[in-house]
Amino acid sequence: MKTLTTIAVGFDGSADAKAAVRWAFNLAAQIDAHVVVVHAVGMLGRFEDRDAAKQLEESVRQLSDDCGLDSSRVRLHVANGDACSVLIRVADDPISADLLVVGSRGQGKHPGLLLGSTSLELAEHTTVPLVIVPSL
Amino acid sequence: MLVMNGRYEDAGHEESGHPERPDRITAAIAGVEDLHLGDDLRAVAPHAATRAELARVHEGTYLDELGAFCYAGGGDLDEDTYATYDSWTIAQYAAGGGLAVIEELRRLNDGVGFIATRPPGHHALRDRAMGFCLLNNIAVAAASLTEQGERVLIVDWDVHHGNGTQAIFWDKPDVMYVSTHQSPLFPGSGAAYEIGGMAALGRTINIPLPPGATGDVIRRAIDEVATPAIAEFEPTWVLVSAGFDSHRDDPMADLALTGGDFAALARTVAGFAPGPGRLAIFLEGGYDLAALRTSVASTIAAVLAGAYDDEPPSSGGPGTEMVHYAQAERLVALRIAQEAASKGDYSA
Ligand SMILES: [Zn+2]
Repeated sequence: MKTLTTIAVGFDGSADAKAAVRWAFNLAAQIDAHVVVVHAVGMLGRFEDRDAAKQLEESVRQLSDDCGLDSSRVRLHVANGDACSVLIRVADDPISADLLVVGSRGQGKHPGLLLGSTSLELAEHTTVPLVIVPSL
Repeated sequence: MLVMNGRYEDAGHEESGHPERPDRITAAIAGVEDLHLGDDLRAVAPHAATRAELARVHEGTYLDELGAFCYAGGGDLDEDTYATYDSWTIAQYAAGGGLAVIEELRRLNDGVGFIATRPPGHHALRDRAMGFCLLNNIAVAAASLTEQGERVLIVDWDVHHGNGTQAIFWDKPDVMYVSTHQSPLFPGSGAAYEIGGMAALGRTINIPLPPGATGDVIRRAIDEVATPAIAEFEPTWVLVSAGFDSHRDDPMADLALTGGDFAALARTVAGFAPGPGRLAIFLEGGYDLAALRTSVASTIAAVLAGAYDDEPPSSGGPGTEMVHYAQAERLVALRIAQEAASKGDYSA
């Protein structure tokens, strides 16, 4: 198996996404990997308030401190697109992730349906191993 | 003669506070009414696209899931896109509008089509909703035409890249997709080096533009980058993804077009059609209701050679260098792909 050097984790600021980021940071600390925290800006994203970007950076810094992961191992990547498309692209340049980690939010407003669940859509389309971190 | 889709009840596809709302259609229709077309306006009966018509461009499993999702009460499909209980039916009518209008244009062998339906379509993928779009209305129409042997040009002047339409026809040589759009912006695709698949090299033309780009820049983009390729393609039909969110007043993005610019664009695009009855204009985005109304009026007046007091065209914005860069990037990508093809290397 290829060594895991780059872990990508989806982050929309929600509690479930924070759980996923913690999981990714803890894994990275154990195996000396780098983490790219990926934030997708959707079509409505431009209406987010101006402080949103700062809050995002602050949350990521706080989480890496909590997990004892050196901030030099963490990078925030903000990209235009829907979460699913943006997260599928982490396998490609410039991120070239070996593993994708996401929270389980939206795991089904309507159980049994793929639609409306980013994690299930990703499971269908991802080209790198995917970890879905359950929210507690 | 303007041929329009008959209006269907779309009030059930609404989410409180969401910019993609029923008032948009009211505004677009008001724009047409402002032209007082009288007998020159013909409305066809509303048509809900059949499963077979949709399945030309969408996965059957996606259609099943979307229907089930709506009938289970709907909800958010992603951070931007919603569906309600009624959305499945409404989306079928939105996709069917283009089919009905095109059938009438074929029968008349005359006129111009305008399809004011919602939800919009150009972001919808074969197997996924996104960017406010559930079904890809213009793709459904284009696929019905190619099935009858037509060569279809799609020009997309919405401020966002029509990633869904591009993906659906990526490797189809009988459809040419031309998009001008703001970059960077959602959905993040639409780089100039995206030129189509190996079976359709050069059939995708993307011209990204910087925030603030004005009408002169977008006209130059079409004239210099797209027009020579379109002439070579020789389309038998022209469809337009007319998104009016590229208007300077639209809250969704930062291009600086005016009604007068849409009129000029529409005249240029109409010139790509080989004759009467071969042009259909599909409403995509457009979220400032006043701008939407005047932009629709300007566009329709331009293609019917009618009179309308347009806003003056805009000029002087940034983006000329970006257009030149896009042209260069596109030509390099084409050469690399053609060399790979000649060596039989289809992985490029
Ligand atoms: Zn748009």
